[in-house]
Amino acid sequence: MASYVGKRLLMAIPILFGVSIVIFITIKIIPGDPVASLLGPTGSPEARAALTERLGLNDPWPVQYVKWLGHTLTGDLGTSIARRSDVAPMVLDALANTLILSAAAAVIAIVLGVAVGALTALRRTGVLARLGNALALFSISVPQYSIGLLLIIYLAAGAGLFPVSGMYAANGGGGFVDLFNHLILPAVTAALVPAGIIARMFRSSVLDVMSMDFVEALTARGLSHRRVMLHAFHNTVPSLLTVAGLQIGYLLGGVIFVEAVFAWPGIGLLVYQSITQRDLPVIQAGVLVSALAFVMLNLVVDALHGLVDPRIRA
Amino acid sequence: MTATIDATTSALPESAAPPTTTTRRRRRMTVSARIAAGVVGLIVLVAIVGPFLVGDPNAGDAARRLLPVGTAGHILGTDGQGRDVFARIVDGTRLSLLAGLVPVLFAAVVGTALGVTAGLAGKWGHRSIMRTLDVFYAFPAVLLAIAIAAALGSGISNSIIALAVILVPPVARVAETETRRLADLDYMDAARASGASRLAIATRQVLPNVAPPVVVYCTALIGLSIVYAAGLSFLGLGVSPPTAEWGLMVSDHTQYIYTAPFLAAIPAIAILVASVAFNVLGDGLRDLLDVRSEARA
Repeated sequence: MASYVGKRLLMAIPILFGVSIVIFITIKIIPGDPVASLLGPTGSPEARAALTERLGLNDPWPVQYVKWLGHTLTGDLGTSIARRSDVAPMVLDALANTLILSAAAAVIAIVLGVAVGALTALRRTGVLARLGNALALFSISVPQYSIGLLLIIYLAAGAGLFPVSGMYAANGGGGFVDLFNHLILPAVTAALVPAGIIARMFRSSVLDVMSMDFVEALTARGLSHRRVMLHAFHNTVPSLLTVAGLQIGYLLGGVIFVEAVFAWPGIGLLVYQSITQRDLPVIQAGVLVSALAFVMLNLVVDALHGLVDPRIRA
Repeated sequence: MTATIDATTSALPESAAPPTTTTRRRRRMTVSARIAAGVVGLIVLVAIVGPFLVGDPNAGDAARRLLPVGTAGHILGTDGQGRDVFARIVDGTRLSLLAGLVPVLFAAVVGTALGVTAGLAGKWGHRSIMRTLDVFYAFPAVLLAIAIAAALGSGISNSIIALAVILVPPVARVAETETRRLADLDYMDAARASGASRLAIATRQVLPNVAPPVVVYCTALIGLSIVYAAGLSFLGLGVSPPTAEWGLMVSDHTQYIYTAPFLAAIPAIAILVASVAFNVLGDGLRDLLDVRSEARA
């Protein structure tokens, strides 16, 4: 098991290397002159030359890349153009908030997805099953920001049940209950799309397993329906893990819309605000950190995979 | 020879092909898929002729702003600048559809080319292409699209480029899997033995067989792509105001969420209908052609 995880870790290194190249390229394709945007239109030619030299922009691209990678690896993610402060602490705070939101959404998505998927697989004809199928299809087609907006309209603004935006109340807030109240609407919004996908995948996985020989064999041996279902469920776990892992990764990207709508102070909101301010160092750092979290998550999923399915460890 | 084949097949347990409804081939499209095909046709029609049928989508009358749905002369009401919402939805169909469709077309062509090349190439060619594509799987797709679009600057062509980049890897994977499967088949050996060039094999033998699963996969991707494209506009990375486009309309209407709550829902419903139609059509095509595609990005 340890060697399996070690192998996976080693395999992540070239991927992360590739990620850093892609992000570096997006920095380089930005049209416009970074020196001009930092100095403003009034900069003298001497100041421009000095800044160009200081930013290392005279170096060839490979040299610039190595320098940039060195800074990134030592935790120096650059300086925000709009906020004039270090990007790294800003992005890490935001990442923590995004992880809280994503974790809550993941729990909702998996519970809901498994419930709907199992229901529609085991009862293929009833009204409930049709409703479940329609719901699963609907949730993967609907834009997340509009679900968020509808929830705001009816549950927050209309009925006044939940707070509309932010993470804590402006005054007298703080504490777990306050966080929980603020968390519900964005978490449900973010969970809906992955829940739909998990439901669809889990449905076909249950159908696959139920058509396997061992189910018939166990039934023939006289096991109770409940026991048979337990064995069947065990066999759906690996594929469920794959889909859930993929979808939680998808959450890390998709939360940007949810965070923008609900003003949740995570990576998504930070990136969204930085887009309007053209604050590229923050955008790149946000994407880099999300990609890192995504790669780590995939590693965890792979490790879990090896744990529940001994066949793939070999 | 035939005897051995017969022996192996009869040795298989009968339950190898369980007679459940899920494995039964459906030769006809389901009713819902046919309805979806109709809706898709209608949307395409509106995108082509719609802008000629409605008035100027940017003509606003400040005195007649935020009129409710069902007002005479403004069937879907008016927005915050007194512009007719119905005209803007119809006029925006073309851009919203193109912004979702073009990236998928691009990804279909480039992804198939890459996938087929990787599938037919030797060990190192295959590795270098597929490992490069793996890098794109290390990003949450939406976030990568946002980063690329933000770096290129707002504008519909940049949003199309950004989406195309994130859609290429999954299409390439589908094409590569299918190509590798075909590469082991006898007729490919026959083609090679008959002295056909690599290019001829790729275009005559492989492409026609790789096309169906790719087309099915891409049809389902269109729904996703429309939602993503509208999402980029929603974030301010697509077309610029006052152009009529669904995602931008949602973002524009959001500011009136307390005074006119339903306003933001109208363009959102348009996005939903388009996306559901393509998703259902994709499902229907998959059942019809009985192809199994890879998990989505």
